[in-house]
Amino acid sequence: GCPQGPRPVTSVLALAVTSEQIEHLHRRFKQLSQDQLTIRKENFDSIPDLEFNPIRGKIVHAFFDKRNLRQESDGLADEINFEDFLTIMSYFRPIEMNMDEEQLDRFRKEKLKFLFHMYDSDHDGKITLQEYRNVVEELLSGNPHLEKESARSIADGAMMEAASICVGQMGPDQVYEGITFEDFLKMWQGIDIETKMHVRFLNVDTIAHCY
Amino acid sequence: MFLLLPFDSLVVNLLGISITVLFTLLLVFIIVPAIFGVSFGIRKVYMKTLLKIFQWATLRIERGAKEKNHPLYKPYVNGIIAKEPTSLEEEIKELRRSGSGRALDTPEFELSDIFYFCRKGIETIMDDEVTKRFSAEELESWNLLSRTNYNFQYISLRLTVLWGLGVLIRYCFLLPLRIALAFTGISLLVTGTTVVGYLPNGRCKDFLSKHVHLMCYRICVRALTAIITYHDRENRPRNGGICVANHTSPIDVIILASDGYYAMVGQIHGGLMGVIQRAMVKACPHVWFERSEVKDRHLVARRLTEHVQDKSKLPILIFPEGTCINNTSVMMFKKGSFEIGATVYPVAIKYDPQFGDAFWNSSKYGMVTYLLRMMTSWAIVCSVWYLPPMTRQPEEDAVQFANRVKSAIARQGGLVDLLWDGGLKREKVKDAFKEEQQKLYSKMIVGSHEDRSRS
Repeated sequence: GCPQGPRPVTSVLALAVTSEQIEHLHRRFKQLSQDQLTIRKENFDSIPDLEFNPIRGKIVHAFFDKRNLRQESDGLADEINFEDFLTIMSYFRPIEMNMDEEQLDRFRKEKLKFLFHMYDSDHDGKITLQEYRNVVEELLSGNPHLEKESARSIADGAMMEAASICVGQMGPDQVYEGITFEDFLKMWQGIDIETKMHVRFLNVDTIAHCY
Repeated sequence: MFLLLPFDSLVVNLLGISITVLFTLLLVFIIVPAIFGVSFGIRKVYMKTLLKIFQWATLRIERGAKEKNHPLYKPYVNGIIAKEPTSLEEEIKELRRSGSGRALDTPEFELSDIFYFCRKGIETIMDDEVTKRFSAEELESWNLLSRTNYNFQYISLRLTVLWGLGVLIRYCFLLPLRIALAFTGISLLVTGTTVVGYLPNGRCKDFLSKHVHLMCYRICVRALTAIITYHDRENRPRNGGICVANHTSPIDVIILASDGYYAMVGQIHGGLMGVIQRAMVKACPHVWFERSEVKDRHLVARRLTEHVQDKSKLPILIFPEGTCINNTSVMMFKKGSFEIGATVYPVAIKYDPQFGDAFWNSSKYGMVTYLLRMMTSWAIVCSVWYLPPMTRQPEEDAVQFANRVKSAIARQGGLVDLLWDGGLKREKVKDAFKEEQQKLYSKMIVGSHEDRSRS
């Protein structure tokens, strides 16, 4: 891959995790990368539990998606370093007690943007019907008896519903191009994802020092 | 045979003398201080010595492993992330419930379903249970208990000898001592409370019963060699209140009750526990329920309310989690105790795992096995924080109040605040289940879809 110049470390500091947790993640990174400085897609094959996940491909893809890595360019990176790894992990940090409205809103948008990129695989800023179908098919891929038709009709039904939320009643010759990010935000209105889309660290270092 | 007689009598004499000496030491150094609540500080010195030995042992292991060029296993017993033990169906239901609030019995595919799999995926990337974690840099200090260390085969002769000595001390010296103390403590409790029960009701009886209880709990604390540090003792519970704490093991009761006067709540058991419970209630009013009464929530609530409203009765001690949790997190608090409307005094208990793991996994060990494990560890070191009292605000309901108290306890003890019910501990999520989850999910979606298209 092309050598990356030094980037400001602000993304890491914005993580609000302790240095102990960063150490854990660093160890995990080294394990995955087999002591190299960068990770490639193939390195994720060494995680057996990930095999069972139906959207495995999309999750791994998300790590290399340049939009998630907060880079100006588009497309996919070939390899990521530890800072990129932490950047992706930062999308899953839990909310903190002392966040104000604006921070919470930004937090939420970031997480939703991550999900949006997962759906929008051709990076055109819209989730088309075909892309939606892809996601549904992948999620339901665990069931070998499922016919492609059923998955397709489920996706179509869900897409129609999405359209009705976003655009309201459509005329007979109106074509719904795809879900943009603003529409996507609208769909998540009531849902409280900040408390669902996170991974918590155990506080391994707060053993009471009783002496 | 006659030739052996003088030798025999010598042995018997020696035995007699050593037992007498042992019991005198026991009495002077442990029981009498327990009665009066003073401490010689022996346990603190013991703890410091142990720590020094552990550090030395750890260095030896690291050096030994480096010489032989083996990587060391650093067992993260609980993993580095808090994995919530929920099933696919529950999570998806929860996600949808927080969303549109539509009918839950017809699960259709929703945009939010992707969350569950996304999060699970990231969790496995962050922390995989299957892959062992190697750490060559630093090892957690080894506490000379082989039950907590997997690097056992990489140690030197000196260390093995030390470990062997440790086993000898723990099983042949400490264990009998502790059993003797426990025996003394329990029998004193039973006889003491029965005797006090014969006195007429009044201030004298209350005073004596409080002190009999306290004395016996203190002896039991020494029986476990528990080294407890109490913080913020000015917030200790008062009469007419409810004391609420997180639950890690049955020892929690002894730890708290040796520093304050409490009324216990619980179900009447048979056997030794039952004898103790029946004796205790003669001296001062505890709240014991028959097995049949436990199911009746209104009865329970009524009895607790009656107890709390009587200001002459001691504060109630309750563990709202309902089951023992492994002391890294606080699970959902059952709301029953928070509906009563009394002042709640939260208490956070945190054990130091360096000296022995105090968590009681009731599906793995029975009570007796657990107590034996505790009595053959080095010591039990823990910290107790008394948090300032809380009352239910007018605009919050019992569940919100319970969660508020739970967060306060979790924050103080450095524990993770989890939402899910502690009862899930018994239902293990099997590994084969993981593969089933995908099939289950697709069945859920497709099944309902077919239902809809049929109707």
